[in-house]
Amino acid sequence: MKRRHATRLAGGVLVGAMILAACGSDDGPQEVEGSVEPTDDAGTVTVYTGRHYGIETVFEDFTSGTGIEVRFTTGNDPELRERLIAEGANTPADVLMTADASNIGLAAAAGVLASVDSEALRSAIPEELRGTDDEWFALSQRARVIVASTERVDDPPTTYAGVGDPEWKGNICLRPSTHPYTQSLVASLIIAEGEERATEIVQSWVDNDPLYINSDTDIYKAVADGECDVAIANTYYLGRLLTEDPDFPVAIVWPEQDGRGAHVNVSSAAITTNAPNPEAALTLLEWLATDGQQAFADANFEFPADAAVEPNEIVASWGSFVADVGAVKQLGDFQPAAVQLLSATGYE
Amino acid sequence: MNTAALRQQARTFPTTAAIFVIALAVSIPVLVIVWSVVQPSTDVWEELWATRLPGMIRDTATLLATVLAGTLVLGTSLAWLVTAYQFPGRRLLGWLLVTPLAIPGYVLGFVWLDTLQEPLGARQVRSIWLCALVLTLTLYPYVYLFARAAFREQSQRAVDVARSLGCTRSQAFWRVVLPMARPSLAGGAALVGMEVLTDVGTVRLFNVSTIADGVLRVWFSTGNRNAAAELSVLLIGVAVVLIAVERLMRGRARFTQSGTTVGLHVQRLRGPAAATASFTGWAVFGIAVALPVARLITWAAEASRTNQTATVAGDLPFHLMSSLRITAIATATCLVLGLLLVAGLDRRRASGKIMARLATLGYAVPGPVVAIGVLVTLAAVDRSGWLPDGWLLVGSVIGLIYALVVRFLAVAYQGIDSSVAKVSPSVVASARTLGAGRFRVATRIELPIAGAGIIAATVLVAIDTLKELPITLLLRPFGTETLPIWVWQATSESLWVQAAVPSLAIVAVGMLLVVALLWTLEHGAETVS
Repeated sequence: MKRRHATRLAGGVLVGAMILAACGSDDGPQEVEGSVEPTDDAGTVTVYTGRHYGIETVFEDFTSGTGIEVRFTTGNDPELRERLIAEGANTPADVLMTADASNIGLAAAAGVLASVDSEALRSAIPEELRGTDDEWFALSQRARVIVASTERVDDPPTTYAGVGDPEWKGNICLRPSTHPYTQSLVASLIIAEGEERATEIVQSWVDNDPLYINSDTDIYKAVADGECDVAIANTYYLGRLLTEDPDFPVAIVWPEQDGRGAHVNVSSAAITTNAPNPEAALTLLEWLATDGQQAFADANFEFPADAAVEPNEIVASWGSFVADVGAVKQLGDFQPAAVQLLSATGYE
Repeated sequence: MNTAALRQQARTFPTTAAIFVIALAVSIPVLVIVWSVVQPSTDVWEELWATRLPGMIRDTATLLATVLAGTLVLGTSLAWLVTAYQFPGRRLLGWLLVTPLAIPGYVLGFVWLDTLQEPLGARQVRSIWLCALVLTLTLYPYVYLFARAAFREQSQRAVDVARSLGCTRSQAFWRVVLPMARPSLAGGAALVGMEVLTDVGTVRLFNVSTIADGVLRVWFSTGNRNAAAELSVLLIGVAVVLIAVERLMRGRARFTQSGTTVGLHVQRLRGPAAATASFTGWAVFGIAVALPVARLITWAAEASRTNQTATVAGDLPFHLMSSLRITAIATATCLVLGLLLVAGLDRRRASGKIMARLATLGYAVPGPVVAIGVLVTLAAVDRSGWLPDGWLLVGSVIGLIYALVVRFLAVAYQGIDSSVAKVSPSVVASARTLGAGRFRVATRIELPIAGAGIIAATVLVAIDTLKELPITLLLRPFGTETLPIWVWQATSESLWVQAAVPSLAIVAVGMLLVVALLWTLEHGAETVS
């Protein structure tokens, strides 16, 4: 009795659902939002991007320049990588873009990125900023540096190890270990200093009782508000904050300038192994590495991967610095070790 | 007799087969995850055990215990307050106290995080206790709704008997009213427990490392999907224990109402007592809804001044339509499948019990894990060649809806099941004896009694789907950008101002759903009595 009744109800609702689904598809797939109208029928390039700020204007420029439409979806770096791996030969994605070097390294290791033979890319992007087999190309650099209050700190640390100096106990802000930026920074410490010394450094940070904040913008604000005096953060967030308030009381200290240089991570792009439209994908990558370099880096106050391209005005005002470019290619390889090290030291 | 039984079986066979297929299809993505335990990643476990796992278990246990205690106390006492006492604003508060359901935990979390940052300090504000408070405030309505329904259904007679035996009014509450409401309270608390266990958005705002957060940590940091899957099996284990405890709490108690009931007498409060009662209700509403919404509105105003009211993908109507479309289709699908399961599963049999358990597993698994289970499953189908040329499930609306059903079917199923169970077999038998046909019984008795509960369950699914983020993020098709995705894009960069408009839109739609829910409950209650 109850069953019959429920079955009948189910039937009615099912019809309703089908009508709904049908209605839904009317205004659905043809109109792909988040993409730019093509100027002519030059095809479409589909992008999975872990970077979702300032990307749209760059794609617009690309479309008006080449006539190739860009269809993209945003997401977290690791999730997009998993999706690409799961989709295999069926992937609609031509291009994978990530905000972090280790994630594109892991994608390359999983075999979902194609080696690209392009003279334009080779000449624009230095060898240290490309995958070992040219499976990926860095498009912009993001430096992770020491930042300090201009009001309370006269003599900020100049090395990452210096942040662990007991002088700063209770006064440092760090990003949690869940974030790729932290993992890549520690990977770079392992590459430069060896596992043992890197462990000591991270342990000294942890012993300084850091305030963990999962947002670089909030880290800068915490320094400005006096929650901490010294912190580690990416430079481009300061670019945004300075645009809003030119007197923002936090300054950048370029670390490791007497040695390997400041840790840099990269935004990078790659063509997928199973790209449905590899030609358009290559056009996009070459364009991003050349004509689009300026717009791509400036959109987020980053440093262009091509040294010949001038950085944005605010970025340039921070002066030139030595960057630990040599480590970029290995960040992915050392990321698992970094994660283990972070866990072992009790870094939150 | 035998022929009749056979004919009956022959007629139900297609239904049974369909039920089997549904239960199987819905459980496969979770089973794919569970299967990973067969080949455990021993090294990862050893490392986890030596480092973060004890902390994860501690944080999960602390959060679970605190939020369960908080929601039970808050939900039950508020429900009792608005049911048993008369004071100014009682009727309005009775409704308003359900509205926190419309506010996603991650939205309430970031609003309070930013608001309390200055007075408390950035360090103090990131605490497990504040996280527990935020979760309590968004989740207590589950307990409140169940408790209020239970209190309303209770008869004054039981209280009168207790009073005549010498109990004071408060003793009667503790010894009669509360024990009789226990099954409902346990049901509400079980929902709260599931939400806490699988939360990944709110906990991370407050640096709380739960097991669900650990699943993401392991998976994203090491790319080791297997180890992450195994960790989520641990989570499923905790959920199973939770359900077992709920069953235990419920015990064998089956309180059915017989004949006419006299509702609980309402006591009129006066003077300070009335003022205190009003204040308590308004204070909870203020902290959980009014203040956060006011804050969101000021941010939204700033966003509109600075022209930050759209994303790369589109404007507010575009995102709203995406959300509504996905929510509507997923909810309708959950409703249909839930009805079919309730109608078709014979849970007197072991097979029926197992099927029911399988079909509702997804609710015990964090969204991102469901997403990856679905992704692996659908990708396998896409590769199999079973589909027509050019068809792909991954990245399609069907794929996304499927994943949402895997995650939320349990909410529909449990709600429908418990409403249908309320229909007393003796009432149906009486009606039949009096000559009412099956159709008449269904429309005049079963539908009025169970209908409200079914609609309520549907609304709960809709609210859950509306707020959903991790599954949509991973599986959404091109051109589908829901409101939570917009919130995520902004909050992942701490751009609260940009997150305000979509957050408000979620709250607004959620409020409409809550109103629908309340209307149904009120309306349903009238029909039954």
